[in-house]
Amino acid sequence: MTAEAAPGQSFAHSGKFFNVLGLALKNAGLTLITLTMYRFWARTSMRRRLWSRTWVMGDPLEYTGRAGELFRGFLISLPCFFLPAIFVFYIAPVALEAVWAGWLTFGFYVFSVPLVAAARYWMRRYQLSRTRWRGIKLGLAGSAWSFAAASWGWWVLQLLSLGWYTPAARINRARMMWENTRFGDQPFHFETPPGESPQRRMWWPFAFGWIGTAIGFFASYLSAGILAAVLTTSGMIDAAPNSSIVSAGVFLLGTALTVISYFIAFAPYRAAAMNRIAAQIVLDGARFKLRAKTLSLLFYQSLGWIFLIFSLGLLSPVAGFLQVRYVLNRLELIDTPRFAEIGQSVLADSDAGESLGDAFDLDMGVGVI
Amino acid sequence: MQARYADGRAAVFADVEISLTPDKLFIRHGERTIDWDYADLARSDDNNGYVVLRQKRKPDTGERLMFGNWYDDELKAVAPHLMKPLAQGVEGRLTVGALVTLAWSLAGAFLIGIPYAAGPMARAMPEKYRTQIADISWTQVNNFTAQCDDADEATQILNDVAYRIMERSSVPERDEIWITIADAGFPNAFALPDNSIIVTDELIGMAEQPDELVGVLAHEIAHIEHNHIMKNVIRQIGAGIFFDVVFGGAGAGQAIAIASVNLAGLRYSRGDESDADSRGMDYLDAAGISTAGIATMFDRFEAYAEEEGAGDIPTILSSHPASRQRAIAARARAREGLAPSMTEREWRIVQQACGGADTLDQEETPQAAPR
Repeated sequence: MTAEAAPGQSFAHSGKFFNVLGLALKNAGLTLITLTMYRFWARTSMRRRLWSRTWVMGDPLEYTGRAGELFRGFLISLPCFFLPAIFVFYIAPVALEAVWAGWLTFGFYVFSVPLVAAARYWMRRYQLSRTRWRGIKLGLAGSAWSFAAASWGWWVLQLLSLGWYTPAARINRARMMWENTRFGDQPFHFETPPGESPQRRMWWPFAFGWIGTAIGFFASYLSAGILAAVLTTSGMIDAAPNSSIVSAGVFLLGTALTVISYFIAFAPYRAAAMNRIAAQIVLDGARFKLRAKTLSLLFYQSLGWIFLIFSLGLLSPVAGFLQVRYVLNRLELIDTPRFAEIGQSVLADSDAGESLGDAFDLDMGVGVI
Repeated sequence: MQARYADGRAAVFADVEISLTPDKLFIRHGERTIDWDYADLARSDDNNGYVVLRQKRKPDTGERLMFGNWYDDELKAVAPHLMKPLAQGVEGRLTVGALVTLAWSLAGAFLIGIPYAAGPMARAMPEKYRTQIADISWTQVNNFTAQCDDADEATQILNDVAYRIMERSSVPERDEIWITIADAGFPNAFALPDNSIIVTDELIGMAEQPDELVGVLAHEIAHIEHNHIMKNVIRQIGAGIFFDVVFGGAGAGQAIAIASVNLAGLRYSRGDESDADSRGMDYLDAAGISTAGIATMFDRFEAYAEEEGAGDIPTILSSHPASRQRAIAARARAREGLAPSMTEREWRIVQQACGGADTLDQEETPQAAPR
């Protein structure tokens, strides 16, 4: 057995790509032959692998969650979510008047927006309650429904502002999450330095992303249309019998290019938002600092997407691992909390597993770290 | 032996001395000595170069002991169970086997059991639900077809012919079945859950002889008589629920479920298609109509499918068996010397429905369908 060095910096991830890939491949195989029922065991083993290679001040994180808990959460979500969903999507169209069935479906989708936010909160609560460092448990206090209601309001504001409220919404969500996060009996705080905007250095990258995506949208469909026109006028494609195929091709190519332009245009914003959020997290007076850079983050995220797309999602933990490792290896703790004075957590454990988090497939098998 | 110990009361590790005796693990922490039974220990690491031990008791107090994996041999000598994969969080074969069994049992129940029980379930389905599904189907039909204002007489002729062949074969639903001609941009015919049959004007235009069209009608009537439509809806709902619950997402299953009550879902199994072919030809035989007509129609469908691509083939062709085999089977049953299923006048009226017969030669005389 080879000892992996415990890094000396405040945060580090010592995960090796092929080590994680091997586990992800094994999990993918077992997930396939169990028709995805293995996914709870896959998540648990991957988290255990990633957590144990996350070093904070030279000591590893520990994941104590069990697959059986996740499976139990799934069983709990069956009557709570799947039965209503089955009624709405399978029974109501047959048993109710079309108008009522339509309203029920609409209501279900409207209710799902805050429900997804609540599920994200419950999932984070579970994962933090199963995370320990130096034997001390993390936790998440607060109400998932309060977070869901607030998230829903911010989501409406994002819609009404055509997206321009997004940086503020992102900071608001991060604030609510982090102010309820605990390490043992010590709360994290989300503090903006006096005189600074919480979204400092986020607006210009966001504007770049918004305008870049808008330009990318038009340029993508225009390019796809021009390409189709060139191919048909040059005789490489006979448009007359294939008009529907050509239209579909233009649409698909245009959409793909739009998604790529969105992904690239918003890369500076993603890096800026991650850095800004990290800068406002405080634990016992100690601040965090993240040095995410646009190009390097874009590279790792693109690599992750390539894995995700070409494995049809089965290797999504590899994508998660790449991002987790990227962040942790660029994260610093400025000053040191008084760890000797931080006692054990008094928050109750989450017993419902990740329940709806699984239904909505929120974390792609990696987790909150 | 050097190790680090956390007491679970503060976020610090203290340097300690440990000794791995055959009976117990001793931790000397300052003046204190703590002893742990090996049987009570579990590992919390994942081969990251360090062994992290905790006690299995609940609640977890947070006490941890961490030392480098260079003591693996010593630990293995006194507590071999801590070196097994199971102790490091790797699940056993029994768990995997149970999961495989559970998953495939569920798949069997939903994907084989429900289709198997679809017949009785379809028969037991209350009329109200059948009507509701039919309403959804009609909404879909109205989205891509238009009503023909000039098709009343043609519609009556088709219904009369259909009734004639159903009466000879004692089809129980013969008083409920109603054929409608719809104006659409493609040739198709399909049965709906309320025992309606839709025939598009393009399908009528595709047929050159009345027996070709009547053969298609007979096929659709057979789908109704054997309740294939509702059985298909139930099969697809079962598959939808299975994919939704097992895969844990809200995507694939619902797509199937929505399709199941849409026209896109009205695609029958291979067995249902063969069944409808065979039963439809029984009707034709009993009514004295040659099955050569439907054989010719299958040839036309095949040519059409090759020309238009798989995405645009008629619903009647949407499943196997291949058209060529179906045409051969129909031709094998064809009898010679039978009269056409419609008179010349009736056929001309049908062809003119929805303005579809504008280009036809008015002098053309219908013949018995070619063999």
